[in-house]
Amino acid sequence: MIAIKAQLLKGLTARLSMSRFALAWFSTRGFLQARASSGRVLSPLIAVTLLSACASQPPAPIEERELEERVRTPAREASAGVQVYPLKNPAVAELTAQASQAEADGDLSQAAILLERAMRIQPRDPELLQQMAEVQLQRSEYSQAISFATRSHDIGPRVGELCARNWHTMSVAYERLGEVSEANLAQSRSQQCMVTRPTGL
Amino acid sequence: MSPPSKTGSKKKTGSKKTKASRKRSASRGSTGGGGPRGGKKAPRRSLAGRVFRLGLMLAGLGIGLLVPWMLWLNHVVTAEFEGRKWDLPSRVYARPLSLYEGQALSPEFLRQELLAAAYVKSDSADREGSWSGGGGRYEIHRRGFRFEDGIQQPLKFRLELDNGIVTRLTSPAGGGDLGLIRLDPAEIASIYPLHDEDRTLVSMEEVPELLVTGLQAVEDRSFKHHYGVDPRGIARAAWVNLREGGTVQGGSTLTQQLVKNYYLSNVQSLPRKINEALMALLLEWHYSKAEILEAYLNEVFLGQQGNHAIHGFARGSQYYFGAPLNQVQAHQIALLVGIVKGASLYNPRRNPERALERRNQVLAVFGETGLLTAAEVKTLQSLPLDVTPTPSISGNRYPAFVDLVRDQLQRDYRESDLRNAGLRIFTTLAPAEQAAAEEAVTGGLDELASAGLPPDLQGAIVLADVDSGEVRAVVGDRNPARKGFNRALNARRQVGSVIKPIVYLLALEHPEHYSWLSMIEDEPITLRQADGTLWSPSNYDNRSHGEVSLLEAMTRSYNQATVRLGMNIGLTEFTGKLAQLGIEQDIPSVPATLLGAVELTPMEVTQVYQSLAAGGFSVPLRAVTAVQTAQGDALNRYPLRLRPLERRDAVAVLNYGMTRVIAEGTARALPGLLRQDVIIAGKTGTTNERRDSWFVGYTRDRLAVAWVGLDDNRPAGVTGSNAALRVWARLFRQLPMLPVSLDMPEGAYWTWVERDRALLSASGCPGAEQMPFVEGSAPVDASPCKVRESDNETSFWRKWFDRD
Repeated sequence: MIAIKAQLLKGLTARLSMSRFALAWFSTRGFLQARASSGRVLSPLIAVTLLSACASQPPAPIEERELEERVRTPAREASAGVQVYPLKNPAVAELTAQASQAEADGDLSQAAILLERAMRIQPRDPELLQQMAEVQLQRSEYSQAISFATRSHDIGPRVGELCARNWHTMSVAYERLGEVSEANLAQSRSQQCMVTRPTGL
Repeated sequence: MSPPSKTGSKKKTGSKKTKASRKRSASRGSTGGGGPRGGKKAPRRSLAGRVFRLGLMLAGLGIGLLVPWMLWLNHVVTAEFEGRKWDLPSRVYARPLSLYEGQALSPEFLRQELLAAAYVKSDSADREGSWSGGGGRYEIHRRGFRFEDGIQQPLKFRLELDNGIVTRLTSPAGGGDLGLIRLDPAEIASIYPLHDEDRTLVSMEEVPELLVTGLQAVEDRSFKHHYGVDPRGIARAAWVNLREGGTVQGGSTLTQQLVKNYYLSNVQSLPRKINEALMALLLEWHYSKAEILEAYLNEVFLGQQGNHAIHGFARGSQYYFGAPLNQVQAHQIALLVGIVKGASLYNPRRNPERALERRNQVLAVFGETGLLTAAEVKTLQSLPLDVTPTPSISGNRYPAFVDLVRDQLQRDYRESDLRNAGLRIFTTLAPAEQAAAEEAVTGGLDELASAGLPPDLQGAIVLADVDSGEVRAVVGDRNPARKGFNRALNARRQVGSVIKPIVYLLALEHPEHYSWLSMIEDEPITLRQADGTLWSPSNYDNRSHGEVSLLEAMTRSYNQATVRLGMNIGLTEFTGKLAQLGIEQDIPSVPATLLGAVELTPMEVTQVYQSLAAGGFSVPLRAVTAVQTAQGDALNRYPLRLRPLERRDAVAVLNYGMTRVIAEGTARALPGLLRQDVIIAGKTGTTNERRDSWFVGYTRDRLAVAWVGLDDNRPAGVTGSNAALRVWARLFRQLPMLPVSLDMPEGAYWTWVERDRALLSASGCPGAEQMPFVEGSAPVDASPCKVRESDNETSFWRKWFDRD
């Protein structure tokens, strides 16, 4: 009977549509491969080569350490004193804590799933959106990292540490996409998070 | 009984072939038997010789017949048993309900969600899948469930509601408050194999011991020892039945029953009985008792739900008790075992007395065979059937939503995989919101009919989560249970003024030219159309309003002003914008499209407005979030993916204008209908000769598009505000509502203005109000009041700086 059940799986082929842009493809692809635990190195590498066709060398995927060095630490250091702490829903706090744990364990797919759950509860939490941006950055999902950081910035305080993390994330992601001028612009914007009062609040 | 499936029809052709081959071998056998003696002239035959010759002939005939016949049966038995693929229907799940303190949840919503997830109301919520309480205090015993992010254990918890808010979540065992609780999701539909067999696979380890032993006690006591047929069992059954004066036990072994279900048609005849016995012997020869029993547990026919045949104990348990097999109690197991004898005769919902009698008979057998003590039997026999009043597995109650699920999955999966591979499909449907949407369409259209509109009006609603694009409810017919034309997805209708905000969005994207306070002429305008004819749109009230602000032109839905503005901006820019907002079809680049002479489905309109409601972050509308194999391994995920639009500052400013449509424009009736004053954004739409009525509206977290009209496109007497708006309001009256967020992103800001004279103003000045502007578009000149105040300010600063 076990053999019979196994056959079920064979017959089942998910046709992945290649028609949409490469990123969509890699998200599913990367997920399946991570599950299969083979070829784990391959998918981010191809993704990067495709995405930054002009860059001479494919850069390595962003790792937690790099994220810490280039996004979180500079944002924290520069923003001492200009801090905004939003209130957090306990359910969202529970999910983000689990997501952070998954992220620390290197299970980025799980982290993304948990953050998405948290967003169903609190879709417009800039902190949460930024955490998602950073997870996407580590998954080499650069355009999504930019999207989530942008959303976080749009509805966030646009000042202080979170603002700096938004722009640092965008800067690194644009750099990986080979969009140098955008990357530099984002880098310089991160400096302004500590000086300018935002408009429209 | 089990419908003649593919296997059934194969079987028929198989036995025809066998008959043919039997004829061939029979003739060969007779010539072979009689051949050698044929040449000699026969002496006078003795009687013994005759008998011997006849015996030999018969033996030859028998062997010649039986051997190929057995070989054929052997082939059938092994090929079918080993190659057997269980076709498993795919299961479709709603989004799971998450509970947390501070969550908006009405008692009615909670009730709807529990009902959809087949939770049973009980006194103490002792069993998984049951709940108790009321009046704001509940105990809920959630079931275990395998989610994509891990397995969740069963849990009993307390929930307190006050005024539509979850105030407390605690564990009855004591300890601190629980942060977040996720219920197991409602099973909302199944996608069945073409032969309509409904089944959930179960392996031996998951089957309760009592079911396995009890089944043998009732149906086949010597199952462990016989070789497929059991002469003693037949004799005993005959004796027992004679004694009891009715059929209590059957004579067929489990193996024979399996063979019957598996390979043979349901016709009772002697040759069929012989075939059955032979195949049972062969099956036993090739396979272990455990393999045969497991196949039996999954194959046995236990009931009929509409077109779907319920097969196997796992599905049977869901069907009758709403509980997984490993959770049913002894008296329920006895009922399942009893049903085997005749699923229709002992149907506990249709024939409860007969089913109860049969169950108690079975319990008695459990007692006789030592599976239960006499005391246990007595207690269990006194229990009710404990069958859920209606099948807790859904008979596809949400056909419109499931259409959308299929649409989304058909991009990635073959139809046959959806039907046969037992996929677990996780969707975004919110059962309570779906129920509210169904009520809104059905009740709303009835209300409109009694107000004098046509009684055959049709309607549709799409309800989506603003930020995630997850579709929470779809209604495509005024009778939501009806399968058929799904207006939410497939009715292409002219959209009318619902499209106008896009014209104003484009204007706001040009801050150097336009703001809400810019003026535009609402005067007759004549344009040459593609076919050379002239077109002069008129306003709804057949008047022109002269110079009006863009804000007034949009909130009052003035046609002439909108067309003039759209032509100033350019038609290609307009159609390009629609494409950017997710409209895939080609939109004709003609002036009339500016007023909505373009046919879209409610779903497409929802997609366009999702980006706007979410502040300029476009997300493809989704009905499915993940797909797993039957075993719970991930196959596909459809994650949240955002696409930021470029001019999000203009989008935010547009959203303000859309809230004014409700505050002071064509949808002024809405707050009264909602009986609540929440900031909502929206737009009405009416088409020529009142054929279609549209309303699109959104709160901070919910976006819904409602359409009302007649299927044959006759004039229906409907307008945006007299029909669709009412249906929309009827839905949102049942939903928790959050005010639309009017925070401005970078590039836009709020300031004080005096609307009538389009001047900058200040708080406290006459006629001053706050209004958002894209940077560079706000008025430059200040009102006298504002000027005075700035003077004061300047002098204050001057004084401060010039102090020494």
